[in-house]
Formats: sequence, C-alpha cells, structure tokens
Amino acid sequence: MLPSSRAPIVTQLVVYKVGSADETFGRTGIAHFLEHMMFKGTATIGPGAFSRTIQRNGGRDNAYTDFDATGYYQTIAPDRLELVMRLEADRMAGLRIVEKELVPEREVVLEERRMRIDNVPAALLDEAVRAALFGEHRPYGMPTAGYVDDVKKLGVEDLDAFYRRFYAPDNAVLIVAGDTTPDAVHALAEKHYGPVPGRGIPARQRPSDGGPSLPQRLSRADRRVAEPGWSRDYLAPSYRTGETRHAYALQVLAQLFGGGETSRLWRTLVADRRLALSARADYSASSLGLSSFGINVHPAPGHAFGEIESAVADQMKKVLDGEVTAEDVERVQNRLLAAAIYAQDSLGSGPRRYAAALSTGNSVEDVEAWPRRISAVQVADVVAAARHVWREDRAVTSLLTPEERQ
Amino acid sequence: MTRRFLILVGVLIAFVTGPAGAVEIQEITTPLGIKAWLVQDKTAPLVALSFSFAGGTASEPESRKGVTQLMALMLTDGAGTLPAEAFRLRQEDAAVSLGFGASADRLVGSLQVLTANRDKGFDLLRLALTAPRFDADMLEQRRSQAIAGLNQAEQRPRSVAERTMMTTLFAGHPYGRDFQDLRASLKTIVASDLKDRAAQLLRRDGLIVAAVGDIDAAELARALDHTFGALPVGTPAPAIADWVPTARPRIIVVDRPVPQSAVVMAMPGVLRRDPDWYAAQLLSYILGGGQQSRLFDEVREKRGLAYSVSSNLRSAAKASLLVISTGSANDHVAEAIRVIRREIARLRRDGVGDQELADAKTYLTGALALSLDSSAAVASLVHSLQIDGLPRDFLDRRAGLIAAVTKADVDRVARRVLRDDAISTIVVGKPVGLAVDR
Repeated sequence: MLPSSRAPIVTQLVVYKVGSADETFGRTGIAHFLEHMMFKGTATIGPGAFSRTIQRNGGRDNAYTDFDATGYYQTIAPDRLELVMRLEADRMAGLRIVEKELVPEREVVLEERRMRIDNVPAALLDEAVRAALFGEHRPYGMPTAGYVDDVKKLGVEDLDAFYRRFYAPDNAVLIVAGDTTPDAVHALAEKHYGPVPGRGIPARQRPSDGGPSLPQRLSRADRRVAEPGWSRDYLAPSYRTGETRHAYALQVLAQLFGGGETSRLWRTLVADRRLALSARADYSASSLGLSSFGINVHPAPGHAFGEIESAVADQMKKVLDGEVTAEDVERVQNRLLAAAIYAQDSLGSGPRRYAAALSTGNSVEDVEAWPRRISAVQVADVVAAARHVWREDRAVTSLLTPEERQ
Repeated sequence: MTRRFLILVGVLIAFVTGPAGAVEIQEITTPLGIKAWLVQDKTAPLVALSFSFAGGTASEPESRKGVTQLMALMLTDGAGTLPAEAFRLRQEDAAVSLGFGASADRLVGSLQVLTANRDKGFDLLRLALTAPRFDADMLEQRRSQAIAGLNQAEQRPRSVAERTMMTTLFAGHPYGRDFQDLRASLKTIVASDLKDRAAQLLRRDGLIVAAVGDIDAAELARALDHTFGALPVGTPAPAIADWVPTARPRIIVVDRPVPQSAVVMAMPGVLRRDPDWYAAQLLSYILGGGQQSRLFDEVREKRGLAYSVSSNLRSAAKASLLVISTGSANDHVAEAIRVIRREIARLRRDGVGDQELADAKTYLTGALALSLDSSAAVASLVHSLQIDGLPRDFLDRRAGLIAAVTKADVDRVARRVLRDDAISTIVVGKPVGLAVDR
C-alpha cells in the first residue's frame, strides 16, 4: 500500500510470480497468451466485460508479461477500489478459457509479435542474443512473445494448465497506490482475495549459469536496417542469482560507464573521438535468475565495427585498471538518487518498482534500502564488479548491419 | 492449503500531504509583465515548469527546414562560459531536468528541479535561453544524430506511414514536411542559422508559462523575471497560412519488406476552437478510442486482424485530423481496411448508441484525472489550457461541457467528418490484394 493523495485516484496492481521464463521449450508464449485471455471472461462475467466495467466506472486497465512476472493493473476513483478488487479476485480463480475466444486472440498475439519483433530487425537480433547468452532452450533465452511456431500450436489445454498451476493468491502480490488508507485496503483485500484458495505453489528455480557455447559473435544483415549497431552483452548477477554482492555496484558502473551524455563511453566515443553517434550501457538487477550487462554503440558513418570495439575495450581497460575516482562514483550516485525522487513523484512508476522487486524475490525492505545501498558503493566495489562481469568468456557480441555492408 | 497473499501495508512513501481534489490555478503577473499560471502543490519537494514560445517548425524558411528542432535541442548543449559537457555536469550535479523541443506551432520547454536546487535550476534555464553557444563541434554531432535518426525512421513502417500521411494531406502547406527535403536542408545549416532562429523565437511576446509544485506566487514571479526578463520584447513570428483540405479519397502503398503492414487512415477533423470539439472527441473515442471501441471490437476482438487499432483526433493551430492507425499481416491488411471502412460508414449512417455515448462521456470525463499522476503532467496540462485559450476555471467546467453533448451533436459530427470520400489511406509494407489508387 503506497498512499498518495496527489490526485483522487488509486491504482491496483496484482502481480503473479510467473513469466515467460517459467515456460518450456516448444511451448513458448504461454504466459503472454494467457495474459491476453485473462480479459476473455470468467464463470461470472463474459468476454471483454472486465475492461468494459472498469471503463464504465471511469477507470482504465491493462496488463504486462515479463520474464519473471505477469502484472494486471487498474487506475480508478478511490470509491471504486472494491469493484476492481472484486473483478480481479474473480478472474484469479474463475477464468474460463474457451476455443471460440482463443482462436481469434491467437491471431492478435501473433500480430503483436509481428509489430514488436518480426517488423523490427534489432528486436530479432536481440532475440538471438538472449538465446546465445542464456541458452536457447532455457529460461531467459526464450522470447516472452513466444516463437511463432509455438504460439500457433498453443491451445485451450496448454493455457488452462498454466493458469491452474500458477494463478493463485499464494503466488501473487497485491500493490495498491494512491488516495486511500492501509486499513481500507486490508479490509477489502481480506474480503475479496481472502476466500480465493491457494494452490501451494513451490518456489521457482533458475539456472545459475549461462548458455553452453559462450563467447559468441552474432550478426544480422538486413535490408531494413538503416544504421549499423554494435552491442556486447555480458552475463551478470542479479539481486538473487550469481555473485549478488555486485548488484548495487553494477548499477553504479552502468551509469558511470554508459548512462547519458556525461558517461565515459559517450564522452570518449561520441564527443571526443566522433567514432559513434550514441553509446550507452544498461544493467538491471531485478531478475530472479541471472541478468545481463549490455553495451550498445551506434557507429558514426565511416567508422568500422573494429574501431568501435577497440575504443570500447580501451575504456573498459581503464575501469579494470582502477582508473575510477571517488568523485566519479559520488556524481553517479547523486544522479541515481535524484532520479529516484523524480520517479516517486509519479503514481505510475512507484507500484511497478515494488512489483519488480517482490516478484523476483526481493522485499519491501530491499526497495526502501535501495538509496542507502547505492550510496554505500565504493570505488573498489565498482572496479571489482567490472572485473567480475566483463569477462570475454561470458559475452555475446552482436552486429546489426544494413544488407549492403555485408 | 497455504494462503500467503502478500499485502503491502504501511509502506509509506515520503510524499503524502494536502487534500485530494481539483487542480487550483492561480494567475500571476510579474513586475516585468510576464504572465504565468501556477498550481501550488507541496506534495513533492520539486517544481515543474512547462513553457513555450510562439512559432515552431511550420514557420521556418523553406531552405532551413529542421533549424527549429536543431536549435531547440542545442539550447542545452552549452551556454555562456559553459561548453556542452560543463553545462551538462552542472545540470546533473543539481539534478536539474531541462529540455526543449519544437512542434509545428511552438518552441516548447520543460524544467524540473528539486526545491533544494531551485535557484540553480532557474539559473541554468536563463543561461540556455539567453546565451546558447551553438558550438561548431556540437552542431556536427547533433546534425549527424538527426540525419541518422531520419534514416532509421525511414525504415520504421509506422514512421513512414505517418510521414507519408503528412506530406500527402498537407502538400503545399507548411505542416507537410518532406523527409528528403529535411535531410538535405539539415546538411546545410550553420551556427548562424541557429542563432537567427533563436533570436526570432525566444521572445517574451507569445511566451506561455505554467508552473506546478513547491513554490509560491511571489517566489515564482521573482524566478520568472530573473529567467525570462532579459529576453527581447517584439513582434512574434508571423502566423502561417490556413489549411484548405482537399477531399480526395486515395490509397497509397509504400513498399517495405516487412511481414506486417502499417496503416494510417486520415481525414480532416475538428479544430480545438470548434464548438463541436467535444462531440468530435466522443465520436473518435466511440470509433476507436479504447478497448471498448467499435474498431477494437470488429478488427481485433472478433477477427484477430490486428493487435493495435485506434483512432485519434489530432489538432494543431491551423488543422485537425482524425487519424485511424493499425498494423496487420500483409495478407490480412486488405480485410482490416475493409472492416474499418465499413465501421466508418456504419457510424456515419446509423449514428451512436445511447449506452456507448454514455460510456464515452464517463471515460472522457474521468480520463483527465487519471493522467495527472505527476507534477510534470499537471504542468503540461496547465500549459496546454493556455495554448488553447481556455479560461482558468476550465477544469471545473469541463465535465459540464462533455455532459452537455447530445446524441444529435455526435451524429451531426459523424456526418461531417466520417466521409468515405475524404479518407487518405497509407499502407506501408507488402500488402496483398489491395486496390491502389494513383
């Protein structure tokens, strides 16, 4: 419960601790397909009635599927909180998946995949990178959208079995934010979710190693590519898996190395040497299994991938050699903490942050300790984290090229 | 049976104060005569400013296409004695979020700063507005990025469809910008062009300011005079020509090797100042506004022809369009377009139902509050009220205006706007079985 009376609205978010990483090879896309079917009727309401009721009460709703979690959220006036709880509890146990609704929805799911992935060369390459980094038959190596051939085969029984296995109160987290009180939320939640039976769902396991054939170099030449791209992805620990003690230092490292236009990569590759049009690094620690540390560079016209690669390597070497000052680290810490304050000003991002933590094995205390733990990161921690993660035998390098460059 | 449903209770986020309720707007006039609207709100320890100057991309000279956006972007690429990187570090150290952009009609900016660093934030904004450097090396960097961005947009089906729609419907009008011209022009722009454009647009006449957050009227007045007071007063950029729509139906296909075709279908809409604005908003919502719309139901729910299908009313100073967007597999797209046209014709012929109109009114009335979830969002709304020339108490009146719209109003607007002979359809991909006009 995250109280805020900035506006007379509340947001309910129910997150199930299940995502595409809980699927099996050959049956990919179930978690996401099921998310679509959650709007298609229960024993008590018809297809589409869920969102229609929310809308008629002046609210809006949507859902998302991730590797580790599936979330359903509604924003509405505070006096309608009970309504959305009743509806959400209803589909937590009473979903009815029927052939007549599933068949056209499968086409919708495939159209969504075409729009987000098949139409986008960079997304197709990213799919291949994940398969290489995490292993193509393993969690995180399979795409959340599912493979087309798998999605085409999924039927009522597949989705129903997945639903019965993973959807229950003991596998869910309820987050309410906005203009209400903890007592009110408690009472309503007991009333509506209390009677829904649990299923005794066991804790999830994720592999503690990556794909079997690392390192790898991949490339995709595609005539739909206008501008080349160079990427490097390293297997990295998360808050929960691998050498978790590096999780906070890696967030500082990603900012320092490639977060924005004052980062090392940008300053050297883009501003000083003009080798690139943009350069960045990304890392997220919120994952139940391993995560990845990514570096992305968009080469400037006339500069080959080899030049980019050695310029990035030079910058990495400086960090690995310990060329990081306390001032560098402090500056990045201040930036991260300020961003968190701005995020708290938004009703949208607060609940999602808690949802990501709680669905990947972290606690409320962990979320609240985040500023303190980020502030505690020292220069030596950043260097140690870089040395742990930037290892060539745990990396995938990928090149996106316009066709004629091949 | 285990039943461990985790409910988060008592997690207190720092910012909880103040009564819930309506947005209260004060108008202030500074000693130097700058007017601004202020929503004082101490919920979070920060101030969000949303502001704009008259004149945007549509009023730039033919030979200098792209100069306004480039100039806007470069206002934060160094100012005064601070080169780009020093300026950026100053911004980061004070956690100041500052940015500029350009629409067809206006040069827009936003500032967000924590209360503790408020003066530093306004100082940086003043410096960006009054002493931008436009250094040659930064210009080269931004130019290359802008051109690469155009190249990438040329390969995104949705961007190509949008761009083709604009050049087709606004042929001969400044709103219709061609990417090829823009790319050619970007290559020739020099620093003095940026300086000239900044001098033309950064003026106190036509300045609109909205402030939200932890600041009172007297503090804001001082900050605004300090920030904007040094800008010249003078004639703002001249208004651009009116748009005369050409009602010619057409289907244009742009070939791209993608499995899913992107589609936009556009027709002249209703201007913001038109008395039928809300009737048109309701019409667009009923047609394709959300998960309950007719298009969503017919195209997605019943037939699975698309993931996304929507209609939007878009309005600028001189033109308005009703735009329907979707994306459908190449061998389904012809059917998707047929279904959309049939729904347009049905809505025009039979009008709206009482229940769907009531639902649309409920949604449109409530949607505004749902979007006001951050200080920056409130500032942006208050800024747009001023651009639209609306009164300060408009948010109190808005629900009444929506409630007053009748079925007859919406049906009349349907007959006026939803004309099959006014639809331009743009398809980007490899559509199968689509009859194409030239």
